[in-house]
Amino acid sequence: MTPAKHILGTFDEALSSLRNNVLMMAGLAERTLDRAVKGLLQRDDSLCTTAIADDEEIDQLEKQIDKDGVDVLLRFQPVASDMRRVVAAMKLSPNIERIADQATNIARRARKLNRHPPLPEIEIIVPIQAHAMAMFKDSIDAFAREDADLGRAVVARDKDLDYMNKMANRRLIERMAQDPKQLRGYLNLIFVSRCLERVGDHATNIAEDAVYAAAAEDIRHQTVAAAT
Amino acid sequence: MVSLLEMPQTLPQQLPRQNDRPVDETESATIMIDVRDLDFAYGGNKVLHDVSLDIPAQAVTAFIGPSGCGKTTLLRCINRMNDLIEGARITRGAIHLGGVDINAPEVDVVDLRRRVGMVFQKSNPFPKSIYENISYGLRIAGINKRSRIDEAVEKSLRGAALWDEVKDRLDEGALGLSGGQQQRLCIARALAVEPDVVLMDEPCSALDPIATAKIEELIHDLRTQYTIAIVTHNMQQAGRVSDHTGFFYLGKLIEFGPTTKIFTNPSEKRTEDYITGRFG
Repeated sequence: MTPAKHILGTFDEALSSLRNNVLMMAGLAERTLDRAVKGLLQRDDSLCTTAIADDEEIDQLEKQIDKDGVDVLLRFQPVASDMRRVVAAMKLSPNIERIADQATNIARRARKLNRHPPLPEIEIIVPIQAHAMAMFKDSIDAFAREDADLGRAVVARDKDLDYMNKMANRRLIERMAQDPKQLRGYLNLIFVSRCLERVGDHATNIAEDAVYAAAAEDIRHQTVAAAT
Repeated sequence: MVSLLEMPQTLPQQLPRQNDRPVDETESATIMIDVRDLDFAYGGNKVLHDVSLDIPAQAVTAFIGPSGCGKTTLLRCINRMNDLIEGARITRGAIHLGGVDINAPEVDVVDLRRRVGMVFQKSNPFPKSIYENISYGLRIAGINKRSRIDEAVEKSLRGAALWDEVKDRLDEGALGLSGGQQQRLCIARALAVEPDVVLMDEPCSALDPIATAKIEELIHDLRTQYTIAIVTHNMQQAGRVSDHTGFFYLGKLIEFGPTTKIFTNPSEKRTEDYITGRFG
């Protein structure tokens, strides 16, 4: 939904710039996460290195969004939906930055795994990555389109990701017992799975803030049943 | 003639709610002023249309809206200041103060204005001493005992957060005070007769930020003892000082509710458009 224009054109420009920076940051984080996981699955160190290098730009965008948000609050004292958009943007960016950090962690683990023979269990990561990535994309869509229903739906999906991570851990721990020589590799996969589960947590935070921006509802810290 | 001053000093009972009013979440508050189905006209020009709202006791209620929307007219209805304008009249509905219809023929308008004080956009102290500005209303009310007046002057000036600044020069002319001090003197003057309600019509519009902050702090302190209704064009001020906010547009009350709700998630699109600056 595109709101009507403000009487003050500079306010529209400032809000638009803030929103665009959040979307750009999210786009970069999504690409970084994609590169990190591809670097793992395709055993491509160069993708991992690129993913790690991308983090710097995302960190800078987080600082820029904070600065722009404070500037909008100071100059225009926004209220109602404008205020919610600014607050949400400022709360989204640290979560996006943390998702990029998780991508960096995955890329570092991937480079370690790539030094050793491939583990068949790496396939466990594929559905977890798909689920986490979909949650992240949808949470950003919920913010961009001010779609509170989509935001609520993303929150409800986090428990599935938690379950997938738990199952992956169980299987990898079993494999450690069966094949102790690959212990380090299985540990790295557990770590990757944990990083993706954390991506889901950050996507949940983003979705909750998107619901706040769109509908002025605070859905944090509710049971999933209550949120849906 | 019924004197409003003789009415029971206990706060009025909570009034029953009606279903046809704008959004309002003052359900549990004690209601001091009950505006019901009010139409008001200046001659043939109708400026308020079917306004209904409950102003809670011992709280600050802000009226916001663009110029000419009727917010000041409504404020002036509450102590019948509009009686002084020829051709101005309520054409329908009523305003009750503590359960009494303020426009009933038996109501003494002088008593009403004593019970409902008013502070205007431009401070308007009398061209007399600081002391006399406060004591004037008391003398009109028939209080002549010097010790009682002294006591009331100090209490009012303290109440208006002005005492410390003027206690050593009470006999000096009020017009020698700064703009902010003059406005606080006017508030002290209104408080001297111990009103239940204080109406404020853009009380800070002519003041600098420091003087404005002092008045806002004062409003915050006064809310525990008085019912305050304030008209302001400054949206941030409405957000800072009020507990409840009513948004008026073209003589209609569009939305009324807790200030936090109005300024974070208004129910009406017109309210949202106005407070976010998307009007017109």
